[in-house]
Amino acid sequence: MKKRTTESLSRRDFLKFSGAAVSFLGSLELAPEKTLAAIKTTIERRPLEFEVSPEDDQIMRMQSDLQRALAKPVEERRWVMVIDLRKCLGCHACTIACVVENKLPPGVVYRPVMIEELGTYPNVAMRFLPRPCMQCDEPPCVPVCPVNATYKDENGVVVIDYDQCIGCRYCVTACPYGARTFDFGALYTDETAEFEGIIFGKPSASAYERSASYEYGEARQRNDGDSSPIGNVRKCHFCLHRLKEGMLPACTTTCIGRATYFGDANDQDSLVADLIASPNVMRLKEELGTQPRVYYLT
Amino acid sequence: MNIKRFLYGLAGLALLIGMWGIYDRFVNGHANTNYGSYVVWGLWVAMYLFFAGVAAGSFMISTLDFLFRIPVFKGTGRIALWTALVTLAAGLTSIGLDLGHMERIWKVFLQGNPSSVMFQMVWGYTIFGVLMLACLFLAIRNPEGRLLRILMGIGLALSLFVSGAVGALLGVQAARPFWHVGLFPVQFPFFSFASGAAVMLSVLAFLGPKDDPNRKQQLWILGILSVVMVLVKLYFMWADYSVSVYGNVPQNVAAVREVLFGPYWWAFWILQLLIGTFIPLVVLLQKRLVEKTLLIGWMGVFLLVGYAVARGLIIFPALTIPEIESLATAFGGPHLTFDYFPSSVEWAVTIGTVGMATLGVLLGGEILPLYRQDRKKGKA
Repeated sequence: MKKRTTESLSRRDFLKFSGAAVSFLGSLELAPEKTLAAIKTTIERRPLEFEVSPEDDQIMRMQSDLQRALAKPVEERRWVMVIDLRKCLGCHACTIACVVENKLPPGVVYRPVMIEELGTYPNVAMRFLPRPCMQCDEPPCVPVCPVNATYKDENGVVVIDYDQCIGCRYCVTACPYGARTFDFGALYTDETAEFEGIIFGKPSASAYERSASYEYGEARQRNDGDSSPIGNVRKCHFCLHRLKEGMLPACTTTCIGRATYFGDANDQDSLVADLIASPNVMRLKEELGTQPRVYYLT
Repeated sequence: MNIKRFLYGLAGLALLIGMWGIYDRFVNGHANTNYGSYVVWGLWVAMYLFFAGVAAGSFMISTLDFLFRIPVFKGTGRIALWTALVTLAAGLTSIGLDLGHMERIWKVFLQGNPSSVMFQMVWGYTIFGVLMLACLFLAIRNPEGRLLRILMGIGLALSLFVSGAVGALLGVQAARPFWHVGLFPVQFPFFSFASGAAVMLSVLAFLGPKDDPNRKQQLWILGILSVVMVLVKLYFMWADYSVSVYGNVPQNVAAVREVLFGPYWWAFWILQLLIGTFIPLVVLLQKRLVEKTLLIGWMGVFLLVGYAVARGLIIFPALTIPEIESLATAFGGPHLTFDYFPSSVEWAVTIGTVGMATLGVLLGGEILPLYRQDRKKGKA
């Protein structure tokens, strides 16, 4: 008898939950922007009011470093990323976090993790090398742009003005790291079958996929046609829109191995300043004189 | 069959195929192209470089008549100028369709970055195009005038500049060792001149006035010029490839291997070397064959095929070698591959632009007085 009651309660709970879920998804499909805006307003950003010691979690320390950096004038900050290759698990969580954060379409990737096989059997190893944009201080992609659509902004981050870019892709050829991809206008739901009346089908996914991305702090709907960023070159921008809100880049907070660090290298007390002073630090293709802002610990 | 009629038919068919490609490009954007985020420039960019080279080269050939006043080339200047204009239009069509946002091209003029080689090229070709139009106008109205000669002089310098800029566009890229060749801006004007000689060889052989007493000599000289330029080109290629392989820079060696033994071997050995170099070399060196104008015309076409392929074999191999080896398998998705072979849409558009250029040359000859010449002065 008792078992029977539990079962009936569970069913009721399930129905309640389903109803809530359906109405939530329905609202997403109908007006995803409004829903997201509503969610955003309910989240209050509170300043960090706690002491962070070196023993604390690195994310907490970086968050504290970030607050300090944001309090400084922008020209005094030097955003850098440090990636500890010995800690990277090759889980690709950073890649996916970046795809979700920036709502990247198929074929566009900002932070792939490259997998390298080293040695000869039986002495073999795998190395995982995440590759965001290097945000070079001497970026070869910038001077080649015929319309000044890509440039280093006041944060020292190499950005792209989507409304200025003509899509010639000269910058892609100039980047020695392959850090730029072109938006061909694809959607994940392009080849998806459509089933009438199924809430989890193509219409819901498609609505989500077409809802605005907030890169560079601008809401850009992914409509049909060729409106930007379709037809543009795209790249990692250290999640500038998150930094502006006091949040670390998505790849950094998502890294389960705590292999990715981010912060202001001009702040001598920051974690990244500590790390890049290590003797085992290196940068990719330094010989090209690009002065990358992404450091690797090996 | 009359060659003109045959060319009209072929060009019309090519244009029809091209219309389908252009339709697909406008409806589906870049979705059905095979270039991507790694091999970021494909057939259309290669054809742009090719057509731009032909345009600059044709202009150079037209200076033989209007600037240097070489008697044997009297009367060839107008058609050379017209061919230059038409091929420039074909090149701009090819590159225009390649742009992600072609509607923003005005930004290069009004909001441009003068330190970008691409900016310099766009400006250079625009001024060059306007100047060619002015030259053609004067060549029809007042071919003996001083102004034409001055403009032709400026145009010659400009043609060297724009050809060199194409070389610089690639040469400045330290990220691509295969392109990062200091002599590229020097080599490309030679390539342009070679293309100009080849296209004029075809145009004059197929369409030139049969009663022109200088015609055979023109063809013979253009043929010899083509042979010399082909040999110069071979030397440049040998220098580039041998230095690359000897230097043993991995990316360079890999790119040379792609061309010689990789996926593009057939394009190199069959199209560029056999059809585009060896056969024309053998035919054009035999003076008795200059009588066979049709054969000479086809040799011009063969040379052009070789030059077009050469452009592709400069562009593609540099991009099919990953900047970082493991990038190739790091993330999957459409247009994320280091393999490249043009898609049917890319081929269709390219066939269409070739058809457009051919039709342009043919129609120009019908409508404008491009072949008319003053016999008295021609003989003088």
